[in-house]
Amino acid sequence: MSEIDQREKVKAEAATTLRQAHTTYRVSVPVVMNEQKCIAGCKICIDSCPVDCLAINPETGKAHMKFDECWYCLACEIDCPRDAITVQIPYLLR
Amino acid sequence: MQNPVIEADVVVIGGGSAGSTAAIRAKELLPNGKVLLLEKAHIKRSGAIAIGMDGLNNAVIPGHATPEQYVKEITMANDGIVNQRAVYEYAKNSFDMIRKLDSWGVKFQKTQSGDFDVKRVHHNGNYVLPMPEGYDLKKILTRRLKRAGVTVLNRVMATRLLVSNGRIAGLIGLDSRTGTVQVVRARAVILCCGASGRLGLPASGYLYGTYENPSNAGDGYSLAYHAGAELTGIECFQINPLIKDYNGPACAYVTGPFGGHTVNAHGHRFIESDYWSGQMMMEFYRELHSQNGPVYLELRHLQPETLREIEGVLHRTERPSRGRFHLGRGHSYDTNRVEIHISEIGLCSGHSASGVWVDEKGATTVPGLYTAGDMACVPHNYLLGALTYGEICANNAAEFLADIGFADLPTDDIDRETLRVTAPLQRPAGLLHNQYEFKVRRLVNDYLQPPKSKVKMEIGLSHFMRAEEELEELSAANPHELMRVMECGFIRDCAEMAARASLYRTESRWGLYHYRLDYPEMNDADWFCHVNLRKAADGTMEALKRPVAPYLFPLSEEELRSYHRIRIPAAETKPRSTNGTPGHAALG
Repeated sequence: MSEIDQREKVKAEAATTLRQAHTTYRVSVPVVMNEQKCIAGCKICIDSCPVDCLAINPETGKAHMKFDECWYCLACEIDCPRDAITVQIPYLLR
Repeated sequence: MQNPVIEADVVVIGGGSAGSTAAIRAKELLPNGKVLLLEKAHIKRSGAIAIGMDGLNNAVIPGHATPEQYVKEITMANDGIVNQRAVYEYAKNSFDMIRKLDSWGVKFQKTQSGDFDVKRVHHNGNYVLPMPEGYDLKKILTRRLKRAGVTVLNRVMATRLLVSNGRIAGLIGLDSRTGTVQVVRARAVILCCGASGRLGLPASGYLYGTYENPSNAGDGYSLAYHAGAELTGIECFQINPLIKDYNGPACAYVTGPFGGHTVNAHGHRFIESDYWSGQMMMEFYRELHSQNGPVYLELRHLQPETLREIEGVLHRTERPSRGRFHLGRGHSYDTNRVEIHISEIGLCSGHSASGVWVDEKGATTVPGLYTAGDMACVPHNYLLGALTYGEICANNAAEFLADIGFADLPTDDIDRETLRVTAPLQRPAGLLHNQYEFKVRRLVNDYLQPPKSKVKMEIGLSHFMRAEEELEELSAANPHELMRVMECGFIRDCAEMAARASLYRTESRWGLYHYRLDYPEMNDADWFCHVNLRKAADGTMEALKRPVAPYLFPLSEEELRSYHRIRIPAAETKPRSTNGTPGHAALG
């Protein structure tokens, strides 16, 4: 077996068994919060979301879209008592 | 982490339409018992009707239709493969449910004389009752749940049912906020988990751009299967005509009675009925893939005030973001047709017929386990079927547990499941749920989307079996991701079911829903039967035939083929009239 073939054999084996490495990438999210209007401590929109994609941003104490999992159903927007939320159509569909 | 065991007489899993009426009714029947409702989201906005609904699609209202007519229509729409007793049980009880909803404050459209204003959308009969102000429906159900005294546990998702000596013993759930495992001991369980709505991948590529509420990931199909229950009609896929890219309903049921209709690229109508059936979808598919495609919802001939009225319904209920989708593209109903396409596949008995095998009591093949709504096979059962069968299940579950106590908890199963559920949190370097899900669902599109063929589906199946092994490599960084990882298992199970049931039925039936290129004809001699799936003794998935029960209401051959005559013959189609009058041009 040539050196190149031998190397490929080792690498091909390793490629199927090695642990996964991760990275992050940015996505634009469709739920836009007006942080001036959003009430710190209020979790109404977070309760409303059927896919639980909203959460309190620990840096601001205000709600934000944490997971890229929006059904653009408008539950959060409709239920917000301060009219602080605007839901866009997710870019991939827009 | 594991919470203390909770005990309840009846546990309802899923707090959407079916789950709400099931829990309310169960508590009515067991005033001193404990009724627990488990909801993976929050009951105020959960299930298929999180944002309300614009109408009932299968209202059987005296003076407009009879239960017998309805059972026959559904038998026709399903090419004869129905348990008529189960459909009849719905049809008999559905009007009482409408009156109950009416008394609860749900606003139905009525005529000036106060009668329910029923519309015709189906091929033959009149069953559509508009709810133009149906956006409050979920709120009304939530209020009733609270008033009834039902105990609600939000953000807890069942991962497996517990079965002991062949009967239901409880379930294991995952709290998606804390990551804790919750064991629930129950005397009876009613599964109301909705459709398998995250099966195919939307053409947009967005995992959550689904027709169904994406929290309906096929949980119930998987839970029932692993508990040993039989499933049926899985090969009769749900495929819907939806607004292209937006992937919500267009919606011909709402616009039809106002005079809207489906047309091809030349502006010609080509289907007689916009009612969603596999046969209609087949004509839709043919038109889309011919020189006449694409297909549109045509509303431009309607008067501006009619269009505003339509917007008042479509942009406020069910999928209210439709309006901003059109606006974002610079489109309006006055000037633009709405492009419609064929959705990715799903499993949903609310629209087609894939679900857990139930009798007219809502009972599964596992004693003590009942199921209602989109996941229970009572074909074309829609919202009103879910609400009605929720009650039917509660009635029969209460009767079942009248003289039966708690089953022993299977402690080995609990330990095994606790390990399985929590393991992804211990695998920081594993596969990620979003990539896993994207790939399985992309493979569902590649190999299971009709038209189907043996070779393609076998390749798909081999991918889904490989994906089963990969489930043990998935990683979760937090409880939310852990919920998604568990859903990956549900989605994969449903993909395997969809492949196996479709491979087993070597004929074509239900139009596009089960159109096989290698067996293009319907074959009653060999396949006038149900195809059921179950977990075999060795843990593998097996398919089997079940006979169609004798009909309560026999149909002639001519009647049974009625849905095969959906297409308008080419000579009869006329171009869209540019100055036509609004009204009832579309239907009838």
